[in-house]
Amino acid sequence: MRITNSMMLRSTMRDVGQSLSRYQQTQAKVTSGNAITTGSDDPAGTTTALSIRRELSQLDQRSRSITDAQGWVNAADSQLDIMTTRMNRAKELTVASGNAITNMTPAARQAIATELRSIRSDLLNAANSTYAGRPLFAGTAAGPAYSSTGVYQGNDDPVVRDVAPSTTMTINVTGNEVFGASGVGAGSLFEVLDRLATAIEGGNTAGIDTERANLSTAFDRVQAAASNIGTKQNALEALDTRAKNDKQTLTSRLSDVEDVDLIESIVKAKAEETSYQAAVQMAAKALPVSLLDYLR
Amino acid sequence: MPNISSLNTPLSAMRAQRQILDVTARNIANATTPGYHRQRVDLSNPNTTGVGGVGGNNGVDVSGVTRSADTLILGRVATEEGGRAAADTTAATLKRIEELFPEPTDHGLSAKLDAYWAAWTQVANNPGNMTARSALLSKAGTVVDALHRGVQDLTTVADNAKARMAGIASEVNDLTARLVTFNQTVASQPNPSADLLDQRDQLITDLTKLTGAVTKITDTGEVNVFIGGRQVVGGGYAAQVEASTGTLRFVGDNQVVLMTSGEGASVAATITDVVPRYIAALDDIASTLVTTVNTLHVAGYGQDSVSGRNFFDPTATTAATIAISADVAGQPSKIGAGEPKMPGPTAPGVLDGEQARKLAALASSATGASTKYQTMIGSLSVESNSATQRAAVQATIADNAVRDADSVGSVSIDEEMTQMMEAQRAFQAASKVLGTVDEMLGFLIERIGR
Repeated sequence: MRITNSMMLRSTMRDVGQSLSRYQQTQAKVTSGNAITTGSDDPAGTTTALSIRRELSQLDQRSRSITDAQGWVNAADSQLDIMTTRMNRAKELTVASGNAITNMTPAARQAIATELRSIRSDLLNAANSTYAGRPLFAGTAAGPAYSSTGVYQGNDDPVVRDVAPSTTMTINVTGNEVFGASGVGAGSLFEVLDRLATAIEGGNTAGIDTERANLSTAFDRVQAAASNIGTKQNALEALDTRAKNDKQTLTSRLSDVEDVDLIESIVKAKAEETSYQAAVQMAAKALPVSLLDYLR
Repeated sequence: MPNISSLNTPLSAMRAQRQILDVTARNIANATTPGYHRQRVDLSNPNTTGVGGVGGNNGVDVSGVTRSADTLILGRVATEEGGRAAADTTAATLKRIEELFPEPTDHGLSAKLDAYWAAWTQVANNPGNMTARSALLSKAGTVVDALHRGVQDLTTVADNAKARMAGIASEVNDLTARLVTFNQTVASQPNPSADLLDQRDQLITDLTKLTGAVTKITDTGEVNVFIGGRQVVGGGYAAQVEASTGTLRFVGDNQVVLMTSGEGASVAATITDVVPRYIAALDDIASTLVTTVNTLHVAGYGQDSVSGRNFFDPTATTAATIAISADVAGQPSKIGAGEPKMPGPTAPGVLDGEQARKLAALASSATGASTKYQTMIGSLSVESNSATQRAAVQATIADNAVRDADSVGSVSIDEEMTQMMEAQRAFQAASKVLGTVDEMLGFLIERIGR
């Protein structure tokens, strides 16, 4: 093939240009740290990266939901703890009064009744407790869960959180579950305490016995709710750990797709730099040479 | 014994060598001129008597100046350059569109959609929290804006392409007019000069780069140009074209100029195919978003225990028009986060966030807006990637064609130097002959005259 100066010039320009463009691309990757600067660099990687980013965003949401659920459940747990303590005191009082009720002075009975009423009021306060402004025991109602007279104002709806992919958890226990519904069986805990206080005041032995049994049932109900919440606490703990592990896995997968392998890229950039220098040097040597240099 | 005609022989040689030197000088001067082909002086021996060089014309004739060009290779160059122009333009357009949708990044539409779905989860977890509800509206606004801007940017790409198409139309008309001028010149002077032929070839290459035109050269040297099978230049006739509805059309019958290659084909595809396709993809995403969100949202109950509200304006289902519905815009408490209670439906508790939770779950729907956007980005990446690769392959093919043409036609300084020395030496030799003949005659005249 006949080779001319302009051909050499053209092909040298093209080769040097290509070499420089490759060098620039690798350099851009190293400096930005991104293996994918535009989608067309790696179409498969781009869609994978988008999927992982979406998964990560959802995982973040689940993590937040889990944290929120944990806060909620912990708040409910501590309220149930307080209730258990107070109800234990109520049981003690009734046991004491049950044995000696007939021997007690009206003033002593009155004192017990007053304490029972104060326990009732404490329990009512605990039942109306909130987490981040939301009543803990009112279902999805705006609250408060109980009126001052102990009438339930909430509903029986669950409060649900997404805690794992397509897995939800009901994080609340409703007032009716914890304290018993009014008009069902012996009625709510507050009604039982009311009647018990009245029976003790009046020295009504039969009434006291009935309500003591009712109080015991109510106590069991609160205990059941507390253990229910305890189970949820444990489950949430496990889910939280899993979500954190998942996040780590996903982040490293995203990094595999999106981030540049620095060592590989720097070595590549070095090689490309060398090849670019060689191309430029060769061009500098070969291009100016022509017969003109040797004509005198 | 030389006669007087011996003086003419070296004279013709000196003339011829001077002309060779002229052409060499012009070759060197045009060494970098685009479309220039090196020229050679054709010499011939006019002596037809052929008897020992005695008598007749013993000099040298300059029979013409020809260019070294291979029309077959030149045709290939034009075709491949047309292909390169098309492939380069397509690759550049798709790269531009890709830049409009920066993925995967934290500020692309994908991230904005993710943030929007996340805001629904926040509302689901805190249905009574006005901050969470307002944040949801603002995230929805970001998505709406991103879709609007996507369409605007794509429209700008199409508008730029339309402007370029108008430019192409006038360039094509200019080129065809100049080819007509060439044809008219050839008709009056049958043997066109090398320079004229170079100009012709350059015009043809330019026209092919723009439109992928096919050229046929008749026996008489006239140029016939066809685009998509229809003749645009023939003899003294050139068809006028104009840019209209995103492509080139013939003035008069308004038929589409069927460009199969060249920049024009790519620009037309940008206007009539690429941009509309991606706008349609965005429209699909917008309408999916509106439909899926509204279907759930209409059933949902706001803080005021009222349902039946749309989240997005149900009448605006394109990416250019999508908007937050007037039912909820600026009224975060009216967002339908509460799930209807069955049977009924009746309003749920004020702090119910179940409907919002269902809406947040649309994020991972296989037919949802996020998935559709991901699919769009996937196909855009693939399309752009293959266009870039095609452009690289076409560049190599075109470069090879140019190299082959250069191998035949381009100026080599070395050759020209050699040619120059050859001519110089031949000139010197001829003048030596002239001197010698002159000396001999002088000697004779001197002796006889004494």
